[in-house]
Amino acid sequence: MSGQLKEVRERIKSVINTQQITKAMKMVSAAKLRKAQMAIQQARPYSNKLTAMLRNVMRYVDNGDQLVYNRATEGLRPAVIIITSNRGLCGAYNSNIVKEAIHHIDTKYAQAVQSKSIRIIPIGKKAVDVLKRHYDPALLERKFLDLGERIEMDRVYEFATFLMDEFRSGNFDIIDVSYGRFRNAAVQIPETVQYLPVPPPKPMKEKKQNIVPNYTFEPDEDTLLTELIPAILKVQIHRFLLDNAASEHGARMTAMDKASENADELLKELRINYNKARQAAITTELSEIVAGAAALGS
Amino acid sequence: MELIVLTPQMEVFRGHIKSVKVPGTAGQFEVLAGHAPIVSSLQQGKVRIITESGEKKVFSILNGFIEVLNNEVSLLVQGVDLAP
Repeated sequence: MSGQLKEVRERIKSVINTQQITKAMKMVSAAKLRKAQMAIQQARPYSNKLTAMLRNVMRYVDNGDQLVYNRATEGLRPAVIIITSNRGLCGAYNSNIVKEAIHHIDTKYAQAVQSKSIRIIPIGKKAVDVLKRHYDPALLERKFLDLGERIEMDRVYEFATFLMDEFRSGNFDIIDVSYGRFRNAAVQIPETVQYLPVPPPKPMKEKKQNIVPNYTFEPDEDTLLTELIPAILKVQIHRFLLDNAASEHGARMTAMDKASENADELLKELRINYNKARQAAITTELSEIVAGAAALGS
Repeated sequence: MELIVLTPQMEVFRGHIKSVKVPGTAGQFEVLAGHAPIVSSLQQGKVRIITESGEKKVFSILNGFIEVLNNEVSLLVQGVDLAP
């Protein structure tokens, strides 16, 4: 009997230990999430302003869709970037993104997969494991795997430049990005967006068009466009990575919170079992004593 | 005249100014109150700000853009080095 008691006691101890870890991880994720959210907020004004500028300039340029980064192509040599985290223990976050990406690839680019003309660019270790089982490993481009680890502007720009170069030279004729869009700590939305060619900007409302200020453009509209668009493309990659970081920490926080809760429930159950076992042991002992005394008395 | 200086990571400066001198791609120019609307790209060089109180601020940039509209100046810059 006491053997079973001891067993339950050990289990309780181990669950408490695990819970301490999940609680600590939750706190750490909360702190990191705050930082990641801040980074998103601070990056937002820049990209908003840049997009607004682009829209302004586009209104003065008739052949906007003739530009290199806008030209539409058949999608025969696609590239898909899949951004996940480097670490696990964040619930279904990574697998949701990879699932979404695989679904996207298999429906939209099945032919390219077959003819091996697709390139898949995973960022974050978690994507690779699944992807290399799912596709021919030769299709994976792993040069940028650790891009999301520490988000550094230089490396982000290097990556964006690589993508633009490959697109310009025709090696990639369409580039999509799958990532986890950050809504809030509990909600991350796995989504796939087209990165290149640049989808045409939404047209301005009629009303606003009438009060177009008479801008001077320096050096000139076309040159400005050729500088603005790459700048925006770089910022977009930055945003994907920032969103992914925030989503990862949010997902981990939620997962760890759930784990701590589950540990609580498990503990409750174990404690009841423990007390039951203890009670049973006492009752048995008592009845043994009583029976012994009765045997002596008779 | 209001100036806001943004980088992809953060806001570097926001405040009222008398003038700002920037290294435009087509040549350096200075923006004073009442400047006509302009959008220009910037090249590597120094940005010189004179604040409302007459204080001078200088920092260098690698590249960027400037937009002036209704006495509001937005500078979007990269590679900012706050030490002049």
